[in-house]
Amino acid sequence: MLWRLLIFVWIAGWMVAALLFAPQVPVLHETTRVLYFHIPAAWIAVLALGWGMLHSVLYLVKRDLQHDDHAAAAAELGVLFTVMATVSGSLWAKAMWGSYWNWDPRETSIFFVLILYIAYLALRGSIEGDEKRARLSAIYSAIAFVAVPFLMFVVPRMYETLHPDPIINPRGKVDMDPMIRTCFFAMLIGFTALYFWLQTLRVRVTRIERRRELARGL
Amino acid sequence: MPNAASNSAGAVWSVLRKECRTEWRTRYGLNAALLFAVASLTAVSFAAGRLGNRTDIMAALFWIVLLFATLASMSHAFVREVEARTMLLLRLVATPTEIAVGKLLFNLLFLLVIEAVTVPLFMVLMGAPPVRWGDFLAVLLLGTVSLAASSTLVGAVIAQTRGRGALFAGVSLPLLLPVLAAAVGGTREMWAANSVAPSLRLLGAYAVALLAASLLLYDHLWED
Amino acid sequence: MSGAVSTAAVRLAAREISHRFGPRVAVRPVSFDVTSPGVVAVTGENGSGKSTLLRILSGLLRPSRGESTFEVGGQAIEPRRRRLFTGLATPELSFYEEFTAAENLAFAAETRGLPNPADAVRDALEQVGLTPRADDRVSAFSSGMKQRLRLAFAILHEPSVLMLDEPGSHLDDAGRAVVEHIVQTHAPRALVLIATNEPREIQLAERRIELSGRGLERSS
Repeated sequence: MLWRLLIFVWIAGWMVAALLFAPQVPVLHETTRVLYFHIPAAWIAVLALGWGMLHSVLYLVKRDLQHDDHAAAAAELGVLFTVMATVSGSLWAKAMWGSYWNWDPRETSIFFVLILYIAYLALRGSIEGDEKRARLSAIYSAIAFVAVPFLMFVVPRMYETLHPDPIINPRGKVDMDPMIRTCFFAMLIGFTALYFWLQTLRVRVTRIERRRELARGL
Repeated sequence: MPNAASNSAGAVWSVLRKECRTEWRTRYGLNAALLFAVASLTAVSFAAGRLGNRTDIMAALFWIVLLFATLASMSHAFVREVEARTMLLLRLVATPTEIAVGKLLFNLLFLLVIEAVTVPLFMVLMGAPPVRWGDFLAVLLLGTVSLAASSTLVGAVIAQTRGRGALFAGVSLPLLLPVLAAAVGGTREMWAANSVAPSLRLLGAYAVALLAASLLLYDHLWED
Repeated sequence: MSGAVSTAAVRLAAREISHRFGPRVAVRPVSFDVTSPGVVAVTGENGSGKSTLLRILSGLLRPSRGESTFEVGGQAIEPRRRRLFTGLATPELSFYEEFTAAENLAFAAETRGLPNPADAVRDALEQVGLTPRADDRVSAFSSGMKQRLRLAFAILHEPSVLMLDEPGSHLDDAGRAVVEHIVQTHAPRALVLIATNEPREIQLAERRIELSGRGLERSS
């Protein structure tokens, strides 16, 4: 309860600071401010993907349905954050590049993440029986884990990018304004805490649902 | 117990022979797949017309035809077992890995037969310029191995879902996109008289990664 | 008893094994401990989980709870290797319709890696009385003939544990005599489990595992 309050206050407070007080980056002007929302969302999209895949593999090793609950919750939340990152990025692209969608490498990667999540959830939806669903979707998740580096890093790099971080930061160093940097990392922390709170909430709901199912079967 | 490794090889070989014999007796999967491949090839060729020197588009169309043929036919090997309710028999006589490897080899053969028909037809219908056979076959073979590996694992999973084959294309697609990108790239470079080595490395790495993960995962495919 | 695999002593034990498919209870907790040689009847009303129990014991299905032990010659066999020592004939077993009876069994014998597949197939077909129809495709078989083929499949590799699920179903009197003959020839050297409610088949057994399923009664 206290945690939940703290997360909300933290995110709201830093969002206000980021929107009102943080300076702009030269080329990006006012669109700088999307970064406090867009990058944390994209980070959670990838974090949830990794979290889900980790638990899928753990399920195959330990056969504890709790790991499957985590994998499923991560996929559901992953879709949410991926859509948030995609929409905010697309709006930004319209402002900066003049069109919503360009098959830029970053757009390609996030698109792959989105279809992976959707394929995974569609697969889950078509399997009957908890153990069977857990096992088969974990197998798919594990094989997708092999494809992810290719989908996210290798294939998109075959095309040229216009995405800002390589342009702002050609040497790959973090040389942001201190105020921007503080707001940005604070939002990153806020989003991560938000994600893990939602994750445990979703897992708890699944557990209650299963207990009710079992009670009905007895 | 006799030597386990030679036993496994024997079981894989036996499953592969059984698959080939079933296919030969029924010709149910191969005819349908060939018909589909030729139909999509005709549609592509008819819609695009003679592309002449646009070999970049030709490379893309070529792999799209192969991808479609794969998505349309590759779930068949396992769905057939489930529909005939012979999965139990198979599981009693072989380990999950032996079954899956046998099916993988069959899927590979199946794709090669489809390609043996599709490739010459594509070259003729699209008026493709001469190919560098060594490079082209290397790209084709590595791409085919990845297509077969992905399809075997996903096919085995999909056959156990409520809709059987229905989800196969959608669930396979994310796994096949890297193959598509690298194979199209390689084919394009081949026609542009550039080196295909980068594409071959990518295709090879992906094929090896898929096969290695599959061999670890096959064991978990059937447990109820 | 000699030391060959097919005649090694077998012990089959379960401790509080139960299984559920989702919310549905398939097998209520059951415990037993039986050893070869001999015949054991697995009884219980429809829906009490006889077939499911056989699937668990043969290593095809992982039980939701509890543990089972499968020992051959004093050595514990892990679930995924149990199929090597088990001959299972169940109504759920189907054959490749486009193959003949002999081809189906030859495929099974070769995949299992039997030393003399052709001999094993001939013997098994002989024992169930299918020799005259060996080269007919299974698609042309009646349900009784398919049931005989299931029995042939189960005894093909001289298993240490023979599990027969409703072995008499679809069979005529001659077929039931085949079942009795198979049980009698295997009882001295293997453990035979018969899942049945037929009094005639229960009589073949000297021991009994009774499943106390909910059966057909409705949950409140």
